[in-house]
Parts: sequence; C-alpha cells; structure tokens
Amino acid sequence: MPELARTLADVVVCLAEAEALDALERPRGALPIRVAPDELLLVAHPGAAHALGRAAGAVREADGDALVTDVSDGWAVWSLSGPGSREAFMRLSMLELPNAGVVQGDVARLPVKVVADGKRLHLLVPSSWSEHLRERILSLVPDVGEVAEPHAWTAPRARHA
Amino acid sequence: MASLDLEGRRVPFEDGDTVASALFRAGVRTFNRSLKHHRRRGLYCLTGDCPNCLCTVDGEPGTRVCTTEARDGMRVRRETGRPSVEADALSVTKLAGPLMPVGFYSKTFIRPRVAWETAERVIRRATGIGTLRTDDAPRSVPVRNVLTDVLVIGGGIAGLAAALAAAERGERVLVADEGRVGGLLAPGPARERLQALSAEAGGHDRIVLLEHHVAVGIYEGPMVPVAGRDELLRVHPGRVVVATGAIETHGVFGGNDLPGVWLGRGAARMAGAHGLRPGERAVVVAHTEEAFEHVATLRRSGVEIAAIVAPSALAGSAPGGARVVRDGRVVAAEGSKGVRAVVISAGGARERVECDTLVLSLGLTPRDALLRMAAEEPVGGAGDVAWPGCSLVEAEESGRAAGRGEPVERRPLGGVVVGGRGTVCLCEDVSIGDLRDAWAEGWRSAELLKRYTTTTMGPCQGAMCGRVFASFAAANAAAPRAGGRPTARPPARTVPLEVLAAGVHETGTKRTSLHERHLQMGAHMDRSGSWIRPYRYGDWREDHRAVRERVGVMDVGTLGKFFVAGRDAPALVDRVFPCDVEHLEPGRSRYLIVLDEAGYAMDDGLLCANADGTYTITSTSGGSDRMESALRDRIDRWRLHVHLLNQTAMLGAVNVAGPLARDLLERLTHDPVDRDAIPYPGHGRITVAGVPCHAIRSGFVGELSFELHHSRSRGVELWDSLLAAGEDLGIRPHGLDALDVLRLEKGHPFLAQDTLPDDHPTKLGLDWAVDMTKPAFVGKVALERMAAFPLERKLVGLEFDARPQRGAPLYASARVVGRVTSCAVSPALGSPIGLGWLRTVDGAFPERVQAGSVMATVVPRPFYDPEGARVRA
Repeated sequence: MPELARTLADVVVCLAEAEALDALERPRGALPIRVAPDELLLVAHPGAAHALGRAAGAVREADGDALVTDVSDGWAVWSLSGPGSREAFMRLSMLELPNAGVVQGDVARLPVKVVADGKRLHLLVPSSWSEHLRERILSLVPDVGEVAEPHAWTAPRARHA
Repeated sequence: MASLDLEGRRVPFEDGDTVASALFRAGVRTFNRSLKHHRRRGLYCLTGDCPNCLCTVDGEPGTRVCTTEARDGMRVRRETGRPSVEADALSVTKLAGPLMPVGFYSKTFIRPRVAWETAERVIRRATGIGTLRTDDAPRSVPVRNVLTDVLVIGGGIAGLAAALAAAERGERVLVADEGRVGGLLAPGPARERLQALSAEAGGHDRIVLLEHHVAVGIYEGPMVPVAGRDELLRVHPGRVVVATGAIETHGVFGGNDLPGVWLGRGAARMAGAHGLRPGERAVVVAHTEEAFEHVATLRRSGVEIAAIVAPSALAGSAPGGARVVRDGRVVAAEGSKGVRAVVISAGGARERVECDTLVLSLGLTPRDALLRMAAEEPVGGAGDVAWPGCSLVEAEESGRAAGRGEPVERRPLGGVVVGGRGTVCLCEDVSIGDLRDAWAEGWRSAELLKRYTTTTMGPCQGAMCGRVFASFAAANAAAPRAGGRPTARPPARTVPLEVLAAGVHETGTKRTSLHERHLQMGAHMDRSGSWIRPYRYGDWREDHRAVRERVGVMDVGTLGKFFVAGRDAPALVDRVFPCDVEHLEPGRSRYLIVLDEAGYAMDDGLLCANADGTYTITSTSGGSDRMESALRDRIDRWRLHVHLLNQTAMLGAVNVAGPLARDLLERLTHDPVDRDAIPYPGHGRITVAGVPCHAIRSGFVGELSFELHHSRSRGVELWDSLLAAGEDLGIRPHGLDALDVLRLEKGHPFLAQDTLPDDHPTKLGLDWAVDMTKPAFVGKVALERMAAFPLERKLVGLEFDARPQRGAPLYASARVVGRVTSCAVSPALGSPIGLGWLRTVDGAFPERVQAGSVMATVVPRPFYDPEGARVRA
C-alpha cells in the first residue's frame, strides 16, 4: 500500500547563463534539477537554503547578473513511497518514470517535477497547487495511506542516471 | 430461479442468458420503438451494434440488452412509446409520415419563434430512447493512464493472434474487448479456436486482457480512451491494432425494420448459443457461404426454412431441403407487429412467401470507425475489419502480421445496391425516400446530407447504415469527393455520460496561504479563474464600508508577481511595456497596461523600479501566465540578458486599504510609511509585525492603500497581526464582491470582464498610461495606425435611473449601440452606476442611452474621488 506524506524541503533557484550553470560545482547535499538551460533548482533538507545560496552564489563568478534566491515558499513536496507507489503514480500521470532521476510534466493536470528514487517519488508542485494535488492523489489513488506528520527531505538513495 | 424485472413483470432467465435472450424466451418481440415514426423494433444484430434493443437497465438508459448479461434482480424498462412500447399511441405518426419530412424541425418551427418553446417540450417527450435520471448523486469516473507498447482493440481471433505475435517479440500488450472474449460466438470451429488462443494469451505474462472495456476513439498520440465499467483508461500505446471485426450488412427494403427481420449472425446466435428459435418459419437471404451455416443452425433449433434466396454463384452449394430462389431480391417484408410474409422478386416475377422470420446474410461490413479516425496514426487493422469475410486461417494470419507490426492491406469494399424503399438509418429513423428528398432539396454531398438528415449520427454511429448511406451518396454524387463516407469521430461506441465527463473535475483550484483563515472567518469562497477566493465575509456592504470609512484588508496573494533582474532588465521593460520607464525612479511605480503586437490590451498591473536596477512587476490574478509567457518570449527573442523569476506561488500579498491604513501600519512597524517614505505611486521595504514586506501603494480601490507582499509561509502571521491591531479601528476583511464595487466607483475596468479582445488603450480611456513619444514598445506601430481612424467604440461610465441587468444592451435611436459590462448600486454615491460599451451614432457618442428598461447618462470616470486625493493621501 503506497504512503503519501508531505516532505519539507528547502529550494534555491539559480538563474544564470547556461554556461555559468554548467560550470557551477553542484553544492553537496542538494539535489540539482536543471529545469531549463538558464534555470537550476537545488532541493535540500529544511534549513539548508542559506548555506546553499552561499555555495551557489559562486555562479556569479561566471555571470555577474546571476540571481540566486531562496524559493522554498514557492514549492510544496508530496512524496509517495512504499509498494505500489509507482503504480499509484500511473493513475496520476502519463509521464514515464525512470528508476532514478527527474521528469517534469503533467501530474493530475498540474505542472509537477517528479523526483524518482526507486519506490519513493517526490512530487514538487507550486505551493498554491499543494492542497489540490493532495486531494487529487487521495481521490485517484484509493488505497493510499496518508501520513499525518511531514517528513524532512533526505537525499535520494538511488543512483541517478 | 434467477429472474429479472421487466416493467413489473418477473422474467426468469437461465445461465448464459443475455437480457435480450431472457426477454425473447419470455415472448417479448418488440424491444423499443423507432425515434420518429414509433415503428416497432425487434432484435436484429445481437452483436451490440444496432439500436433496436436499447432499453433502460437499472436506470441506465440506452443499454444494448443483446450484449448485456442477465443478472438476478435487474430492472429493465422499454422506455419508448406512450403509454407503453407495446401500445404506442404515437405510432400514428407513421401515418403522418408525409407531414414529417426530413429536416422537419428546421422547416416547421421557424416562425413564429415562440412556437418552438411549446413544440420542443412536446417533441422531447415524444422522442428519445430513455430518461436520464437527474436526481441521482453524480457518479464520478476515475481516470487512469496506461502505457503499453501495443494496444489491441477486440479480443477475437485476429486480435488475440496479434497480441500473441507482439508479445512473442517482447512487446507489452493490452487487449481491450467490449464484452467477454468469445461471448458473441455460437458453438463451432471459430469458438473452439478462439478458446485456444484465449487460453494461450491469458497465460502470457506480457499480455493484459481487459474484458468489458470499450475503446471510445483514437486521438493523436495515439491516445485511446478505453471505458471500463468503473474507470476510464487513457491508453498511450506505441501502436494500435484494431481488430473490431465486421457486422453483417444492413439490408434496405420496405419493412426492413419489422420485428422478425434478423441479421444472419443474430438469428444463428439466438438459435445456437441460447437454444431459442428466432421464429417458426424463415426465409434466408444468402449472399455469403456463412449463411448456409446459419441455415443448419436454425434447422437444428427447429426452424422451418421456407426458402433460400441466393445468387446463382452460391445457389449450387445451398443445403438441400429448402426451395432455392436464384438471383432473387427481397422487395418487402410485410406485417404489422412482425413479419408475416416476404415479397421476393426474381427474374421479373414477384412472389410472396409466408413466414415469420427473415434472415439476412448480405455480406460483411467492417466495424471500422476506429480505423477511419486514425489515418495518420500508427494504427493497423486485422481480421474482418481489414478483410471482411475472411476465413479463420486468414483472420489469424492477418492478426499475426499486424501483431508483428507489418501492414495489413485493407481489401476494397464494393458498394451496396440502394433502391426501392426502407429504413436506412435505424437510429434516426431515416428512410431511403428521406435521403432522396433531401438530395433533391440540394444537400448534395455525403457530409451535408448527413448533417441535414442526421443519418449515421445516432447511437450506432453509422455502424449499420454508414455503408448504405455512402453508397447512396456515391451513386448520386457528381464529384467523387461528395460521395465518400462521412468522417468518423469519437465516440465509436455508446459510452455513459459520466465516462465522457471523466476527469473534468480535475480542473485545479489554487489556494493562497490564507485559505484556512478565510474558511475560519466564515468567508463565502468560490472559484475565480484558477483560484478559490473569498467573495464576502457576511454582508459585502459592510466589507465595502470598512474600506471607504476605516480600513479593510484583502487577500491578494493571487496577483501575478514577478522579479526581473539582469543587466538588460531596463531594456526589457522599456521595450515591452508602453509606459515611460526611462524616468521611473527607484522606489516609484507605474500603472502598467500590457499590449500585444496588435495594440490590444492583454492585461494590466504595476511596474516597480527597485534600487539595484531590478524590477518588480505585478499582473492580474488571471493574467500571470500570460504575463510570464509574454516576458519570456521577448527575453528569448531579443536575446536579452535578463533573469525572470515568477514569484506568484512563493509570495503572499495582503492589501491594506482605507483612510486609516497608515495608522494601522504605524502600529505594527518601526519603518516610516508616510507620503515621503512611500509615496503614491511608489513602494518600499518595511517590516510589519515582524514580517518583511514589500509595500506597494496601489490605487485600485480608490483609497490610501498598501499591498504587502511577503513570504507565503508568513502569510497567516501577518494577516492575524493586521486584524488584531486594527480591531479598535473597525477593520474588516473583504473579498471580491466589495472589490468589484470599490473599483467600479473608481471607474477602473476589470480586464476581460469590462473589455473585449480587441480593445486598445484609447477605447478603454487609458491613453494616459501610454507614452507614444517612446521610440518603440510592443504594439506601438499598431496604435499609430489605429490612431488614424476615428474612434467608433469606447468604454464609458454610466449613471442609471435604476439598476439595470449586467449585460443589458444599450439603445440609442432604437438601435443597439452598446452593452452594460458592470453595474452596481454604489454605497458611496447612493446611486446605480456602471461601465459599458458605447458605439458612435452618426459619428458622435450618444450622451443618453437606454439600458434595457432603464435610462442611463454617460458620465466621466471616476465616479468617486475624481481628483484622486484619497488615493494619494
């Protein structure tokens, strides 16, 4: 039976020239999601935003105009885990899931970034859609069990492709 | 013994019975009445194709009982016919046939128009195939996405052969069959072979077999919606094999729709699978060898074969024991409640053969609607749908080829002979005579004829009549294109409305961080665009009064909020927006109207210049996506070094407005909020109740106001502090209802509500927001060109003698010259005011107009505080 839990995470965005982002050393402990050539999201455990922002600020060496900002408030993370989580995801989306890695697209008709980590799936959604996504998951996946206490983000275990 | 209920009568059934066979065993011969002429209709195809057995089963109208398995306690009603299907008073309409020509509605109820209202009620009661239950709780059907390499539609011999061939290549296969696999077959070699294939497919771990799953259509992708009993699958296959088989060709002659006329496979199934004689004495029309199998099956069940009508080429192999009429043609079936005799014409002579059953095996017509709607997609056919009338071996061979992804060429279909009399479209009750009349009236192409006569548009979607209809058009059309088959469109099979609606409730609603607070405070919440927002907290007039007289707060976290940085940021905003950017000092802001290349207003908002060369932009709540794409598009196209951050989701915003707004903020902040620190129009950074805020002065509601943008996670804290600190000031929250009137009093249009898609700033009275001296901005060229023409339409302020309806037309000189787009009785002014569109009359804008039933005077905007002293306070 898949489990649904809210995951608390900090998110920092780096907006910079593609080459500057290419050259940026990925800060340790953060999952990088390159959502566009000039946009990199860094996802990490709660409280990490400040340190992450400082580390990612190195991008300004290559692009003086680069914008590095804590956008944690803009994102909500819902996580599906346990047996049946990937099958549950099929009820929500037509995205093909890698075993490990990130895909973005339509999940329950919302713009979602999906971090696949074996049987654990993190769904990153703009925070104004958060409650709607939760409701859609609960109604579309009838056997899902909701965990009341939020989890803190931990780095994906599976090796990323 | 298990039984079902037919209109209050207990009907026992046996194992393996369908609802139709159970009713037939109990003596039921009339299953429904035809749509227009209320002719009796009996069992015909028994394959779930024709509309003749549509009944209401357990409240579900339009159910084909010939493919519905009987279950204990089922309630079945035949809903056509008044008072009942057996004694239908409305069958007299068939005598009035000449008075009800095709195109009856279009021709008859045109004038006077009011007649239609009455006529429609009568017609709606008289026609239709059942009654929708509207009192039930809506049933929502969940949607599931399924990925597969191959989707096979149809679990017959060709379909299962295709599935096995694909699975052997290592592909994942999904097989969808609308019934039970093999459920339609009478005992015989076909059923035995199918059972063997089905056992093999069932044991294969790469094949998923879904019974009672109906493919609704094929969309680009390909994407195939497949309706199960309790869910809708959106199947995304790599490719599709359509193996939906064929149906026996519908025969058209006088009396062709009488109960007792059967398609060959239907009669054989009733006799062979259910052990029920379709009748006592039958005439069999045999244009296929399969028909001779039907003769044997019918005989075994005890039917006497009165005659076999066959072409010479086949007549030699007809079974003995019955008279064979060579090259004969059925001209008419006679009878009133059912067939009593058949008139056959052969060799110039006519003969009448008494019988109660007429069995038609005229050849096969592919069930190819899905195939025809997927011309450009990786979709192939196999079995009867590609090679109608193919043998078992051929079916399997074509299936394996299609399963391996090899193309299966479709065999060409001949036309069918169309002449004489009879019903072409069983669903819509259209006769061959109706088609001839419509053609004579000028509807001379298949597509036009279809729309005018509604042929092929009923529950069978042309499965029965499509080929006959196409043959009629081809035979009459001058140009080949005019004779083709009309386009096939989804749904290919009948699906319940809730399946069509599956997923519509997925339309999302965004929520601000204050959602729970609004609910706790008793707000009336509703959708507004993609957001769910408060409309009022109790009486909106009280909410309104707080803003005008004291202080009010509103959750405006829905506003589009953008941050623009990078060395080209000034160039971007200067070249996109029509306002003066060059002279915009840091700390100041401007009203922003966003134009498209055609000079039309897309959205509006505020532009704030920050100290470090960056900008903060707000847009309307509904316009944030448009704003983002407009900006991103220009950044990319002009190759600007700009970083755009959409902050809509991460920032909350509360508008604090009213003459006491500053007093309230001063209680909660140590930062200066006077006119020098944060002037109008301007903005600044302040900390309110410990929450860092970007405070933006705005003028939308016409009072001193500060929009406090803050981190979403601090929203509740800020909201609570504001309400607590303002309690003794008489603070109130307000929603969209009060806002609508507040901004109307100020004369501000709501873009999209008060505007039309082709409004440029002059029409809206927003010339002041456009700096035409700038060298360039998006839409400037279009505005210059439009300025050369006199203004013919503009948005005006209106004062009414009494409150009109929103949307009321504006009249001047007995002509419609505009429309009311917003109106309300203004609490501040005590009179009804509004905004509306006005066109010129003889080159000038009228000054006094009639708005529906009340009079209106055109007045300058704003209505309230025209000097703007309150906003600038």
